[in-house]
Amino acid sequence: MATTSVETSSPLKRLMSNLLGYGTVAVTIIMIGVFLLLPMSKVMIKAFYNGDTFTLDYFRLLFDNHLMVEAMINSCWVAFATTIVCTLVALPLAVIGSKFDFPGKGLLLGLLLVPMVMPPFVGAIGFQRFFARYGSVNLMLINAKIIETPIDWLGDANKFWAVVILGVMHLYPIMYLNLAAALANVDPSLEEMATTLGVKKWRQFKDIVWPLARPGYFAGAIIVFIWSLTDLGTPLLIGYQDVIPVRIFNMVSDINENPMGFALVFMVIMLTVGFFLLSKSTLNGKKYDMMARGHVTSAVRKTGPLGTIVIYATLLSVILFALFPHVSVLITSLSHNWFMTPLPVEYTLEHYAKVFNQDLPLRGIENSLFLASLSTLTDVILGCLVAYVIVRKLLPMTGLLDSIVMIPLALPGIVLAFGYVITFSGTFLDPMENPVPLLVIAYAIRRLPYMVRSASAGLQQTSTSLEEASATFGASRFYTLRKITLPLVLANVIAGSLLCFAYAMLDVSDSMILAMKDQFYPITKVIYALYLEQGSGEFVASALGMISMGILTICIMGASVVLGKKMGELFKS
Amino acid sequence: MEVVFKNVTKRYGKTVAVGNLNLTVKSGALHFLLGPSGCGKTTTLRMLAGLESVTEGQILFDGKDVTRLPAADRGIGMVFQNYALWPHMTVLKNIEYGLKLRKLPKSEIESRIKEVLHITQLTRFVDRLPGQLSGGQQQRVALARALAIRPNVLLLDEPLSNLDAKLRHEMRDNISRIHKKTGITTVYVTHDQKEALSMGSDISIMHSGILVQTAPPRELYKNPESPFVAGFIGETNIIHGTYKGKDGNDHLVDTALGVIRSERKFGDFKAGSGVFISIRPESVELALKQSPNETNCFEMTLSHLTYLGDSEQLQFTKGDTVIKANLFNALDHGLSDGDGARVRFPKDATLVLPPDMQLGAGT
Repeated sequence: MATTSVETSSPLKRLMSNLLGYGTVAVTIIMIGVFLLLPMSKVMIKAFYNGDTFTLDYFRLLFDNHLMVEAMINSCWVAFATTIVCTLVALPLAVIGSKFDFPGKGLLLGLLLVPMVMPPFVGAIGFQRFFARYGSVNLMLINAKIIETPIDWLGDANKFWAVVILGVMHLYPIMYLNLAAALANVDPSLEEMATTLGVKKWRQFKDIVWPLARPGYFAGAIIVFIWSLTDLGTPLLIGYQDVIPVRIFNMVSDINENPMGFALVFMVIMLTVGFFLLSKSTLNGKKYDMMARGHVTSAVRKTGPLGTIVIYATLLSVILFALFPHVSVLITSLSHNWFMTPLPVEYTLEHYAKVFNQDLPLRGIENSLFLASLSTLTDVILGCLVAYVIVRKLLPMTGLLDSIVMIPLALPGIVLAFGYVITFSGTFLDPMENPVPLLVIAYAIRRLPYMVRSASAGLQQTSTSLEEASATFGASRFYTLRKITLPLVLANVIAGSLLCFAYAMLDVSDSMILAMKDQFYPITKVIYALYLEQGSGEFVASALGMISMGILTICIMGASVVLGKKMGELFKS
Repeated sequence: MEVVFKNVTKRYGKTVAVGNLNLTVKSGALHFLLGPSGCGKTTTLRMLAGLESVTEGQILFDGKDVTRLPAADRGIGMVFQNYALWPHMTVLKNIEYGLKLRKLPKSEIESRIKEVLHITQLTRFVDRLPGQLSGGQQQRVALARALAIRPNVLLLDEPLSNLDAKLRHEMRDNISRIHKKTGITTVYVTHDQKEALSMGSDISIMHSGILVQTAPPRELYKNPESPFVAGFIGETNIIHGTYKGKDGNDHLVDTALGVIRSERKFGDFKAGSGVFISIRPESVELALKQSPNETNCFEMTLSHLTYLGDSEQLQFTKGDTVIKANLFNALDHGLSDGDGARVRFPKDATLVLPPDMQLGAGT
């Protein structure tokens, strides 16, 4: 028999590869254990122990302090309000997207997703420029003689709504993606059946479509809820002190003198876990198998001229509304000597030049690119392996592994960062000395679910027989993974890594809390630091914001091109 | 309720899904729309339901024009191919939904539910969710739900296509029984001729958006009006030929086999026009060699024989012509593949048909 060219690996090689494969899974578990479960349990223990004695004093302190109680209540209201307004904005959009066909549909629906590319707190800079006491809006109104004295848009009474509105502008796309996917999943013949029984459209929606789409809706709603409950950047820039994240941020520096912070972080964990479980069990628990679909061709209706006008008006007003902060940041970043006029009189690129000439912003870009790249790489390696183990059920209890990996979805960045500070201060990972390792790990862990989701989706579509075919040639599991499976799920991996990268670049809470020395500041913290500076800081901050927005736009557009409609799957709890 | 389609046409852009349909569904009938997939039968049903708009023409319910009437006001009950059971509602809720909407008195709702549960034999399953039922049970829930509102017309869209063969048999009997009991005018769409032949009071055959023929099952089998229907309902041999004229009661057709005499025809032909001859395989006979001058006897070669115990399938060829024959209780003819044989077509079993005008050549 002639020698064949099939590459076969020796038993030793195979053993090594297998060890490498399983070893990496072990690394994942250790990493999640040390950098997720340990800090969280540390916070929880510290909340209840003074030294070695059990105590509830910190909670008594917390609940006796009316500022803290108010912050907790306010945070919940912010989260509820943001979720409800997001729903009101996203529901019509999702109905339009899933039920109607009109010219330019793809482009308009794509534009709806644009607000995802900017952390809301960058938008807050532009927002403030326009709504400040002597900001553009008031100046315009005064010039038009509609008002005489400036309205205090961002006065203490309105800060709540400013935070909510900025949150909605950023988060409604996540709600939209979830709702659109949920609605598209409802078999149109279920509605047609109701039509034949004489059920009116709105009642069909209430009785049939909504109950079936509800699990998908809550999957998105809980993300929006937790996100807005724990968002640090926006209230910080708007100057809204009375929310939990800002209180925690202020407590990090003197945590050893004021242990009330532990109790507050514990409360955040309880709130998020509580709402998460609530949504999972009572509302999300009812998932119904969709039966086989009928031959329905008319699920998507073409609109007439009137319908098209209504749809365009709706979509364009949402897009313009949501892009307002972006536009205002853009105008701010290009303005020259802008003072007491509704719009800048002169435009300049000098602020962009400063970004690249000054030390701080340039280093911020470098830091962020470096940190985001490294954390993305970590996510790709770990995420693919974890997804592989879960989807192919290589180990017993993969369901547990799946749940553990998904924890970061419900874990607020401030909680993790806070946990890191108290767990690793004084160790070789001390963030005060060098936050780089912790920042990379924090970024990586918090985006790991996206990567795992993305890779699992690809793996589920790839038949195991392709891998088994490889195994019959004597290839080890790891060899097969590298040579057969990975190339087949590459599109999903690329999309997932783009998202990981984008969200690492956007990260606010980890960056704000962990990066304590300015030489380690990532972009977001540089923007914040510049914003606090007197003089032209605000303008340079805007320019830097625009640049990071550009980077993110490219990433997210890339991801949606690669993933297409499956994009929505990544933003579910 | 009598349903009439009057010159109904449905177009999607430039594609004609249903062309100039004229059809009457008699009151109380179990009327089948039968045809290969894509023939327009489901579109016809959906127009009848009001789920699809009518491009041209009228649909009448007992003489009343309902063409523009929304589905909700037509009083129809529909069973979808995939059943369209609401997965979040129990069997009871699924059935109850349409009744509650009609604001019927509670006692009336209860008695109707009881009635439909009884005739569909679902009483035991009222509290289950659709996902916990077998395919046949789901099908019955869909039927019960449609029947509960006492529809004017019951519409069934391929109701058995998702079931396995055994269940399909059982449900066929079920539907027939329920139809007899309720007497509701029923329109039933299927591509399965056995369902149509065994259950239907009338069958309409559709092909490429055109209604080809409407007739009761026996009539349709015996007297198809086109080669397509002859070939679609049951099996048939189609022989191309030229009409030569009449000789007494016999029509003479010149074919590749020779002149074939037929007592039956559909349509009027001029001498010299192209026609088709249809003869069912079970009508083809083996002739004894000793009687050489019999009518419609032709020398052919046995090319293939399949023995099935109670019957035999034989295939004969001569040139390009292929004739299939099914012989029941055949004598021991002693033929095997490659032997010459004499094949006879009884005059009363051959049928002269026009070519399928709209469809080009017959199948």
